[in-house]
Amino acid sequence: MQHTLDARGLSCPQPVLLAIQAMRSAESEDLKILVDNEASQENVARAAVSQGWSVQVQAVANGEYTLTCKKS
Amino acid sequence: MKWIRALFARSTPVSSSMSEKGMLLYPSTGEVIRAESILRAAGIDIAVKGPPPNLRQGCDMVIEFPLVHELRISEILEAASLSPLRVVVVQDHLLEPVSLFHSKDFGDFLMVRAANMKITVDKHSHTIVNISGGGCPDVPYLAHMLVGKTLDQAPEPRSLGQTLCGYALQLAFQEVRRLCRG
Repeated sequence: MQHTLDARGLSCPQPVLLAIQAMRSAESEDLKILVDNEASQENVARAAVSQGWSVQVQAVANGEYTLTCKKS
Repeated sequence: MKWIRALFARSTPVSSSMSEKGMLLYPSTGEVIRAESILRAAGIDIAVKGPPPNLRQGCDMVIEFPLVHELRISEILEAASLSPLRVVVVQDHLLEPVSLFHSKDFGDFLMVRAANMKITVDKHSHTIVNISGGGCPDVPYLAHMLVGKTLDQAPEPRSLGQTLCGYALQLAFQEVRRLCRG
């Protein structure tokens, strides 16, 4: 089952820290992360890759992004 | 020597509460870094800091110096073709340069901000988990080079570039390393 982390509205570095905590405690190997600005998207994607996860980024409306992360 | 004359030409009389420090303002970060290096090599006690809000023009920095050394500083900088754009006397606490470091504990993580740059590390592994801030074009490169590495493995940010962001990140990097080493 895919877990979703909503990090919209949070300022840096909180989206990254929540994403790392979610990856470390993830029971599944599939995580969806929602962010609402480009800097958070880049930072979370970079952190996910450094944790050994692959990332697919999808831009959605109003400058928001969905990152689909899978444990490599 | 124009800036020194301008300094002495101020109309406000010197008061006993006046600070003994001044600030050198430059148009670019590269000049701040070069001037800092030259003045430090000359043994002058200076500090690179963020400017007070009324002098801030973006993500800039200033060199704080002891006014007692102003003549010597002017000669050194003129000889190096590095005369500043402006010199500002720090007249009261409202004009003191802002503190560069701010740290925040996020439980398992520690963030240190220096001027416009933030570095966040895992407190247990000392791995850099995030680099952010700035606005300089090399921030993504700096982040790419540092995130995922430990503080001992990571290259020093100053070795990767000479922008303001690289400079500020170097200071944050040194501070977080100092804090993590306890």
